[in-house]
Order: sequence, then C-alpha cells, then structure tokens
Amino acid sequence: MIPVRAYFRLLVRYLRPMRVRTGLLGLVLLVAISLQLINPQLMRTFIDRATTGSNVGDLVPVAVAFMVIAVAHQVLAVTGTWLAEYVGWSATNELRAELTEHVLELDMGFHKAHTPGELIERIDGDVTALSNFFSAFIIQVIGNAVLLVGILVLLWRENMWVGAGLSAFTAVALFAMLGLQMVAVPWWKQVRATSAVLFGSLGEQFGGTEDIRANGASRYMILRFTEILREWMPQQVRGRVGFAMLWGTNIANYVIGSALVFWLGSLLFGNGSLTLGSVYLVWYYVSMTREPMDQIRTQMEDFQKAGAGISRVQELFDTSATLVWTGQVVLADGPLSVELDHVSFSYQDEAGVGPVLHDVSFRIEEGRVLGVLGRTGSGKTTLARLLTRLYDPQSGEVRVGGVPLPQAERHSVRSRVGMVTQDVQLFRATIRDNLTFFDAGVDDARIIEVIDTLGLTAWLATQPSGLDTLLESGGGGLSAGQGQLLALTRIFLRQPGLVIMDEASSRLDPATEGLIERAVDRLLDNRTALIIAHRLATVTRADDILIMESGRIVEYGSRAELAADPDSRLSHLLATGIEEVLA
Amino acid sequence: MTADRRRAPTGRLMWGLVRYAPWRYTANIVLWASMWLLPVIPAFITREFFNRLDAEPGFNAVTLMALMIGYGLARLTVMAVGMINDILFAFRASSLLRRNMLRRLYEMPGAVAVHESPGDMISRYRDDVDHVEEALSWTVDMVGTFLLAIVAAVILLSIDPVLTILVFAPLVIVVAAAERMSGRIRRYRTAAREATGGITGMLGETFGSVQSIRVAGAEASTLAHFRRLNDGRRREMVRDRVLTATLESVFWNTVNIGVGLILILGASSMADGTLGIGDFALFVYFLDFVTDAGYFVGLFIAKFKQAGVSFDRMIDLLGGADPMRLVDRVDLHLTGDLPHLEPERVTAGDVLEEVVADGLTFSYPDTGSGVFDASFRLRRGTFTVVTGKVGSGKTTLLRSLLGLVPLQAGSITWNGEPVVQPDDFFVPPRSAYVPQVPRLFSLSLGDNLRLGRGDDNDRLNQAIRAAAFEEDLAAMPEGLDTMVGPLGVRLSGGQVQRTATARMFARNAELLVIDDLSSALDVETERTLWRRLFAEHAGATALVVSHRKPALLRADTILVMDEGRIVARGSYAELVATSPVFRQLANEVEAAES
Repeated sequence: MIPVRAYFRLLVRYLRPMRVRTGLLGLVLLVAISLQLINPQLMRTFIDRATTGSNVGDLVPVAVAFMVIAVAHQVLAVTGTWLAEYVGWSATNELRAELTEHVLELDMGFHKAHTPGELIERIDGDVTALSNFFSAFIIQVIGNAVLLVGILVLLWRENMWVGAGLSAFTAVALFAMLGLQMVAVPWWKQVRATSAVLFGSLGEQFGGTEDIRANGASRYMILRFTEILREWMPQQVRGRVGFAMLWGTNIANYVIGSALVFWLGSLLFGNGSLTLGSVYLVWYYVSMTREPMDQIRTQMEDFQKAGAGISRVQELFDTSATLVWTGQVVLADGPLSVELDHVSFSYQDEAGVGPVLHDVSFRIEEGRVLGVLGRTGSGKTTLARLLTRLYDPQSGEVRVGGVPLPQAERHSVRSRVGMVTQDVQLFRATIRDNLTFFDAGVDDARIIEVIDTLGLTAWLATQPSGLDTLLESGGGGLSAGQGQLLALTRIFLRQPGLVIMDEASSRLDPATEGLIERAVDRLLDNRTALIIAHRLATVTRADDILIMESGRIVEYGSRAELAADPDSRLSHLLATGIEEVLA
Repeated sequence: MTADRRRAPTGRLMWGLVRYAPWRYTANIVLWASMWLLPVIPAFITREFFNRLDAEPGFNAVTLMALMIGYGLARLTVMAVGMINDILFAFRASSLLRRNMLRRLYEMPGAVAVHESPGDMISRYRDDVDHVEEALSWTVDMVGTFLLAIVAAVILLSIDPVLTILVFAPLVIVVAAAERMSGRIRRYRTAAREATGGITGMLGETFGSVQSIRVAGAEASTLAHFRRLNDGRRREMVRDRVLTATLESVFWNTVNIGVGLILILGASSMADGTLGIGDFALFVYFLDFVTDAGYFVGLFIAKFKQAGVSFDRMIDLLGGADPMRLVDRVDLHLTGDLPHLEPERVTAGDVLEEVVADGLTFSYPDTGSGVFDASFRLRRGTFTVVTGKVGSGKTTLLRSLLGLVPLQAGSITWNGEPVVQPDDFFVPPRSAYVPQVPRLFSLSLGDNLRLGRGDDNDRLNQAIRAAAFEEDLAAMPEGLDTMVGPLGVRLSGGQVQRTATARMFARNAELLVIDDLSSALDVETERTLWRRLFAEHAGATALVVSHRKPALLRADTILVMDEGRIVARGSYAELVATSPVFRQLANEVEAAES
C-alpha cells in the first residue's frame, strides 16, 4: 500500500517553511494553465472567421495573440521550473538533513546492522527519488490535474453530453491508473532494495581492495557481483512491466477518448447540437488531454519510485532509538569520578553471544587513572561504550561524577567525557575540520597548541596548506599512527573531565608512543582516566589496575600493591608481559 | 577532479555498448521506431472523420471507431514488447560498464586503486552509469524521431509544400540553439554531479564514524557541514535544471511562432477551400509531433553531452587505462550457468626457494613519504620482521613487494626469475597477506575465509585454529555459516584481525605476509598465533611487520626502517649491539616501562 497520507504529511511539513515561494509557484502554474486553455479558443475563432470568409486582416490579430500567449506560457514555464526546483531541493535537503540527524541518533546496534553504503542509498538515493515528488510532482501532477479539470469544464460548456461523457471517461481512466500503480509499487521497492545490496557490497569492496588483490579474491568478488546482478535483472524487468502497464492505460485512454469523440461528434453534429467548428474544438480539447495525461503518467513512474522511497524513508523515521537522552543533570567541572554498580550487559543484536559483562562493580576516584587489562573479547571495549553511554546496561547503574548517566544532560556528557578508539575515522575535509568535526567555533591558536603538545608540529609543517590541507577520505596518505595522533588531538581539544583511551596507542610504534606518552601525561593531569590496553606499557601511568576475563573483574586494586604481591595476576603479567614488549 | 580532464570518446563508447548486444539494440530500434511512426495512423483516421463529417452529417462512425481501437491494440503490443526488450538491453549495457570498471579496479595496485571516498565511488558506479544508460535508450528514440520527421515531411509536402517548409524550418534553429548551449550544459552538469559526489562521500564518512561523532557530541556541527554541502548542490542543480528548461522553452517557442505563421498563411487556403478542415486537423496534429521531435532532438543532444560527463567520471576510475576498456566485450553470465572459479595449483616454479627484492622505491605523490631503495632477500623457511617508527615506511615496504603500490624503481625476482607484474604474481598460492586494518565482507564467515575457493570445513577449521580464532567460533551458534557484517554479527577489531589471519592461512600460500597484528591483539593472543604459525606451518616463509619481542626474537632477520629506508638488518642480538636506531626504539620502551 502507498502511504498516501505519509506523502501529504511530508509535503505539508517540508513545504510550510517555503510558503511564499510555494504560493508563487501555484500562481505561476494557474496562469500558465489558463493560457494553455485560451489558445484552442483562439484557434476556433480563427477557423470560424476563416471558414466564414473573413479577410486576412481579421485573422492576423488572432494569430498574433496566439503567438504572444504561446511565448508568455513558455516564460511562465521556465519561471515555474525555477521555483519548483528551488522548492524541491530545499525541501528534500531539509528532509536529508533531518533524516541524517535522526539516523545519527539511532542506537549503535542500528549502525552495526546497516553499512554506510546502504545508508547513503537510503538517505540520498531514496530522497533524491523524492525530490521529483516535491518539485516536478507539484508542477506536473497537480498542474496537469488542474488543466484536465479546466478542459472538462470547457467541454461541459460546449455540450452537456460531451462534458458528461468525457468526464466519466476521464474519471475511470485516472482510477485505473491509480489502481495499477498500487500493483507496481512493491515491484519498484524490490528493485531499490536489491540496488542497496549491490552498492553496499561494492562499497565494501572499494574499502577492501588490498585484502582482495593480495589474497587472490578479485575473481570471486566479480562473481559475487554477477550473482547480485542475476537477482536484480528479473526484478528490473518486472519493474518495467509495471511502468508499461501505466503507459498502456494512457494509450488506451487516447484511443477510447478519440473513439468517443467520433461517436458523440457524428451524433451531435448530425442532429445539429454542435457546429463543425465546435466538433473541432472538442476534438482539439480531447487531444489536449493527451499531454496532461501523458505528464501524469510519466510522473506516475517517479511517483512509484517516490512511493517506494517514501515507505523506506518512513521506515527509517519510524525506527526509534531505545536509548534516549532525557536527563537534565549537568556534570560538574573538573575531574569526574566513575562508578559502575552491579552492571550486566549483553549486545541485544548479537544473537547467541552471551552477556559481555557480568555484575561488574568498581569505582575510580576523581583524578585517578585506571588501567584495564584483559584478553580481546573480555569486555574492556564494552566498558568504554557504557561509560560514554553509547549503550545502556540491562541491569545495574553507571555513574559519572556521581550522576547516573540516564539522568545526565547529554551535552555535558559529550563535552566532559572523551574517548579515543582503536578505529580512527577521518573525513575528506581539511585537517581543521577533521579535528574540530566542522565546528567553526574552535580557534586555530587552540588547535595549534594541542598539536604542539602532542608533538605533531613537525608533521603539520610538512602539510602543504597547514590546517587547511585537505585529507583524503579514510586517512589515505597518513600512517595509522599519525591518524591515531589526530584522533588524540580531537579529544584534547575538548577539555574533558574523564578520558577513556581504548587502545589509544595500539598502532603506535614504541618510539612514537614514547614521544606522546609525556604529552598525554600532561594532558591527563587533573583528569580522571580509564585506559584500556593490550600492552603493559600503555598502563604504566595507571594508579589502579583492573583485570577482566570473560566479562568479569578478576583482579582490581592499586597498581603498586598488586605489583608488590607476587601471586597477583598483574605480577604474573609483568613477569612474562614486559618481556613481550620490545626491549 | 583532475585539472586536465580529457573528453571522453562518448560516441565510440556508446557504439561499444550497442555492439555488446547488437540484436537487442536492433530490435529496440525496430520496436521504438514503430512506436514513433504508429501515431501517423490515427492522424489519417481523424482526417477521414472530419472530411466525412463535412460531407455527410450524421454518418455512422463505427468503422472509424473500430479502426481507432485496432490501432490502440497494435500500439499497446509494440509498447509492451519494446519495454521488456529495452530493459534487457539497457541492463546489459549498464552491467557491462559496472563490471568492466570493477574488473579494472582489480587490475590496479590494491593500495592505490581507490582515490575517491567509497560514497563518491558508489555515485559513479550507480548514477553515472544510469545517466549513460538513459542516453543510450534515447538514441533509439532519435531514430524514431528522424523517421517520423521524414514521414511527416512527405505527407505534409503532399498537402501544402509552403506551409510544410514553415513547419520544418524551426527544427534547424532548434538544433543550432542546442549546440550553442552544449558547452554550458556540460559544465553545469559536471558541477552538479561533483556536488552530489561530495554529498554521498560526506554521508558515507559520517556513518562510517558515527561512534566518534557521537562521543565527541559533534552531531550538530557535522550536520551543519552537511547542510552547507546540500545548499551548494541545490545551487548547482537548480542552475542545471533551469538551463535545461530554458532550452526546452526555446524549442517550443520556435515551433509555436511557426504555428502562428501557418495560421496566417493557411487562412487564405482555408477560405478558398483548397485546405479542408480534415487537412487542417492533420496539419495541427503533425505539428504537435514535429514539436515533440524538435524537443527530443534538443534534449537528446543535452543528454548525450551529459553522458559524456558521466563517461569522464568513469574514466577517472580506470587509472589511465584506455577508455575503451569500459566497453570490453565480456560474458556477464546474467543467464545460464555461473562460471566456476578454477582452484589455484602450485606448480614447480611456484615453490618458493628465494625472493629477492632489489632497490624497491615508491613514494606517495601527495606526501612524498614511501620507501626508497629497499633491498632484501627472503629464503625458504625464514622469518623476517620489519620494524621501525610510525611513518617509517613499514607498510609501504610490504605493499611494494606485493605490488599493492606501483614500483617507481627496483626489481623483484622469485627463485631467480624476474617478477614482471608483482600485483598479479604475489597472490595465492605464492603469497597471502593480512593488511594492517583488514576488511571482511558481508558474507558468511566460511565464505569470507574461502573467498571462492572450494575449501572444506576441515581445512577452514585448521586455519581458524592456527589463527587462534577457534574459541570465538565455538561461541557462534551458526559456526562457519554466521553472517559477518551489517546483515549478521559484528566482530571486534581483534576478531576481524584473526579472521583475516585465518583467511591468509586458508590460502595455503608459500609466502605469508602480515602487517602489524599488535593493533588489535593482546600479547598472549599474538604469542599463541606465532607459536601456531611455527608449529603448524613449519618451514613457512614469513614477512611480518611487528615491534613485539616474541616476533623479534624468533626473527631470522630484522629489517629496521627509518624514513623509508632500511637502515639496519640482522638478528635481534646483532642489532642491539650494532644499530643505534634499533637501540633507540628499545630504549624508548624501556623508559616507558620504568
């Protein structure tokens, strides 16, 4: 089913801010339509005068008027296009932005389940299909519908029977079109869904060319591509059949409409109800319905696409985040304490994988540094995600600065809790925009100060345009370590009271790591920190140590005490682990 | 984005696509020419109607009505067949372009094959191909339009030659007008397409880094940037569309002024009875079609130019290869059996005895960093470790051996034989690779490991064990059938790395190349992995990047890199004794540990 109501909700919602332009567009349309209706009347006058033997002097003004109106109509058409495009793009841009905003708010689980490629398809692909709905749809479908009504009214004026017959016929024809459209929308939806799979898969391949080439998988990837195409082709054919059905109704309309004129014309001219000129006018108007019908039909195709797009857009809007920010408590200034109180957590979207955290409780006092150790999969990263409230635990409570996170105000959590993750993601944008996330309010002096603290000044000097240097998408041209350093810069621009470093230095070689260790020491000064690491070197600055295994805390205490206890796990790790690290 | 954009040979490329499915295209021409010509029939039926009406009022119109319905049925049939034929043709053409781009992508060195963001790449694979497909379908309409123009000219000339010339004269003006505007259309369209590429790129990056954006609380500023890009695209798009609309308008006006002239000139003929009402109806009817045709010619020229822009954007992705590669004739396997992937076999020459790299040099054009004059030797059964600071060129060294970046100087031999094309040569069964940030694909875990090879589960399980992934796998109820990626489970960074390592083991390659595993693996897991590598792949030849001690101690040779050059080489003990750079690396950690 096509959510017709959803169409109009969207229309009203996104066109309201552009009332004036939309109104102007309506006016331009109406005038253009009236001009279109006047011209055949001029032609009838012309025929009447010509056939009744008027001289050429009487005919010239009619012909000139015909030309003037034709030109005026075209000027209005261009103006209408400009207005419609402007309105259409403004409206869909707003929709794109709101959709992007909405999707950014959705749970992390949603983002795990949808590739960026798929989301591009849904936010830009589907909405662009809608842009026609906002601009051309208004101008063509509504405009042509008005034109159609105008023609019918003028036919009624000629003769009641002609008016009644052709009105009934037009109604049936439009009804048939709409009915067939309902049938075809699901076919279109399927075409677009497979399109998302195809381009999602291609997007993954574009990111993995090294893996594919060096492991000899390129032929296999092309085979995968072929498999998706084979699925797509019959769907495309079916989609096209749906389109053919709609065009078919238009051909049928024209043929049946003409036959109707032949029948009514011969009958009514025979009994003297219509003059020859009037039969011509009726014929002309009926053939004029071909244009608006054709336009409506063409728009139906886009309407179908929009129908598929709109349900998918609606689907996205209807997906709501389970994690919502309603808290009002603002986190205090200065270092923040951290407290986990009987916290248990599992990823809802990972079926079959058991709880990631079992009844975890610990506390970090203000300004202390906690080092978290554990094997991959022991739950360390999950701790970080709970502390930044990317997820809420199923039971237990997470408190930062004494405030349970669900009660905390969002902005203060975002500005006061910083995290550096193992994945460094960079934009194809300037270095400045990459560091500030496009926030123009951060001044350069501050950026340069932090860059200096992190020992990146020399690197910045090698960049051709300094902070204005455009970085490649995905950090091309930067080493992984340099990317990691940029990620650190991002966090320290924000002056957080709690810093979470998840493997922050994992890709750094020992020399570079050593270089920034001291800078990080300064930056961590008077801040609470939780440092997750696979390597002991990373946690040497920790005041306390927490060791995790299979989602449970197996050891927790001050580093000095644990290190002194020969039976502690830390001592064991130190004995073997230090050997694991270079030197 | 390149400054010196070559103009695509649009015509030759289009012809290449036509030649790919010549019969479908021919059928398309016949069907759509019929679609264009069929409306001539109702023109005569209508003229007959008005002439009869004038001559004998009250005649029975049933025959004419039946003829009209018959015409409708014929046109419906042609349309339905034409539609299906057209999609089957257009689908082949667009699939060919996409497939040839993809094939070319996999011919280029893997690390430098993609310059655009994935979003922009997708926009070129999706939208630009669609534009070309559309323009191609329009060529068929052009043939129909041309035929209709000829038929209409013959009919109208036979009625009134002077009037006819006045009808067709505007067409010439229309074509000239469109030609004059074509440069601007192309420019506007390029700008609009690039703005779209920027937006899809930005969206891709935004959703790729949703966690960072969220934790930084940067949703609002990111969104503001997105809005700015959107506004830019609106400007480009509106400009593009208004120009197109203006051109259309010019066509209509030209023709309409022609109509006005005909009204004046036809007046005397109608008054003296040489032009009947039926003939007049016919004239006006055809004018409509001539108008359509003029409009189509102009629009087609515009579409053709726009297709040129899209071809340019596709050619950008070919890395300098012949643009005609886009239309290489290959079997798409859209129907029939899927091709089988032949398993690779080790031939005698493939068994690794010794690989020698001599003077490998490559630098990234934008940063100037890279590797310079790197020479090394890997003998059968040896373990070679590359180490060095961040940005010292370790990854690039591996890439330049494997052909993932194009060598600017230097050579490689395999068992003494020169390797001409390293990127094609260093693939399984000769070598397999785990990149620093490995990628998996939206496939089952098993398919991610097999990547098209017919390996049975035993072999995969062996590889999984070697990669220390068996416990993780045991926790997945669907085992090897577990879907990876957006449609299935998401693996942690360490799990991805170990899966990629298992993928490498499953290739059963002679030479194993592994970039830094430490980024996502803890010490014990990494140690397990090395132990199993040596236990189960005894005699394997390995080249790895690492700065962890277990790897360094086991190394037969350590290559120490600094600023793109190999500055020292030797065993751990030798290097501690002789290399200041190596000692410095060691001391840095010593300092951090104390």
